[in-house]
Amino acid sequence: MASGAAAAARRVLLLRHRNRGHQNLLPAQHFSSAAAADGLDGGDGGGRVKIFDRDLKRRHRDRAAWAMRETDALADAVADNLLDRLEDCRKAFPSALCLGGSAGAVRRLIRGRGGIEKLTMMDMSAEMVKKWRELDNAAGDGLETHFIVGDEEFLPIKESSQDLVMSCLGLHWTNDLPGAMIQCRLALKPDGLFLASILGGDTLKELRIACTIAQMEREGGISPRMSPLAQVRDAGNLLSRAGFALPGVDVDRYTVKYNSALEIVEHLRAMGETNALFQRSPILKRDTALATAAIYQSMFGLEDGTIPATFQVIYMTGWREHSSQQKAKQRGSATVSFSDIRKQFGSDQD
Amino acid sequence: MRRTAALLLRHGGGGGGISQALADMLVCPLTKKPLRYCEASGSLVSDAVGISFPIVDGIPSLLPKDGKLLEDHQEKSGHESSPRDSSH
Repeated sequence: MASGAAAAARRVLLLRHRNRGHQNLLPAQHFSSAAAADGLDGGDGGGRVKIFDRDLKRRHRDRAAWAMRETDALADAVADNLLDRLEDCRKAFPSALCLGGSAGAVRRLIRGRGGIEKLTMMDMSAEMVKKWRELDNAAGDGLETHFIVGDEEFLPIKESSQDLVMSCLGLHWTNDLPGAMIQCRLALKPDGLFLASILGGDTLKELRIACTIAQMEREGGISPRMSPLAQVRDAGNLLSRAGFALPGVDVDRYTVKYNSALEIVEHLRAMGETNALFQRSPILKRDTALATAAIYQSMFGLEDGTIPATFQVIYMTGWREHSSQQKAKQRGSATVSFSDIRKQFGSDQD
Repeated sequence: MRRTAALLLRHGGGGGGISQALADMLVCPLTKKPLRYCEASGSLVSDAVGISFPIVDGIPSLLPKDGKLLEDHQEKSGHESSPRDSSH
C-alpha cells in the first residue's frame, strides 16, 4: 500500500511538473486527469491516443504548398514505385482516391497507369489542395479530377465507392493509423485495392542520432524531435488488423545526399514533414541547432563533402475481400494425403 | 480568360457549388451519412448531426474542425419525423 501511495504521489508530482512545462503548448483539458497526462485525450477524441498535432501538421502543409519545389526526387521515386504496382494488376481502377502526402507527384506521374478515369485528391490543407488544382489545370491530360479538403482520420467518402485508394507518404502522420486504414477499406468497393507508402522507423536515423547527441551535450537532456514511425513488422499487422485480404508489405530504402545539414531541414519543410508531436519542445536553441548540424557533418559526412540522409519507405498493399480472391481452404478439408503426394513427386527431389 | 471561363463553368455545374460526381461520393466525415447541398448558404449539410461544411472556392472542406453547428438544428429535427433525428 505504502509503495502504491508513493507511486501515486510521484505521479502527481510528475503531472505537476509536466503541467508547468507545457502549459503554453497544450489545451488545458489534456491534463484534466492522470489518464490524460499519459497522452490519452479524455475529451472528444473518445479516449484515443493523441501523438501528433494534426492542426500543426495542417499548417505545415499549408507552408509546404508554397515552399515545395516543382519536382521532388524523393517524392517522385516513391510515387513512381507506388504507381508501378498498378501495372502488376490485371484489373483496371476507374475511380481512384488519392490521400494526402505527395499526391501531387502521384497525379503528375500517373500517365494512364491502372486505367484510372476519375481521380479524387484529398488533403488536410486547403492551400495544398489549391496548389494541386493549379497543377492539374496546367497538366490538361483529360483525367477527371476532383478535390476535397478532408482528414484521413475522418474520411468523408461514401462506402464502397472507390476502386483504388492510394496514399503516398501521408498516413504516418495519423494518430489512429488502424482507424484510418479501416475507413479506407470501407471506402473501397469489394475487390478494391489499397496502396499506401509510409515512412518507416529507419527514416532519418542519422538526424535522430545527431539531434540526441547535440541535445545531450548542450542541454543535458533530450526532447522528442522525431516522430515514432512504424516498423516493417507493424505494417503487416496493421493491414491484417484493418481487415485487408491478401496483405503485402515491402520496404525500400532511399539515400538522399545533401550539401549541408541545413538543406535537410529545408527539404523536410518543403515536404511538410517537420516535427508535429504534441510533446515537442517549443524552443530550439541556436547553438543546439548548430551543434546538431556539426555532429551530423562529422559523424555521417561523406568524403565528397555531402551528407547522406536515409529514408525508409514501407509499401503496403491490401485488397478489400471478395469471393473471387484466393483463400486458404478450411482445416481438415484435404482429400489427398501428403504422403501420397510425396510418393508421386518425391522421386524428383531425391 | 479561358481558365476563368472554365472555373465559372465548373462552379455553375450540377450540384450547385460542386460537380454531381463529387457530391455523390461525399458523406459526412463523422457519421458517414449522406450530405445535403444547401443552396442558401452554399454549404454541405449533415442532417444527422446538424453540422454544415463550407465549400471554399469550389473545394468542399470536410474537416470536422471546419464544420459549423447549425443553429436551427433543434427545431428542424423537431419537424422531421425520422427516428434518428429525434434521438438527438
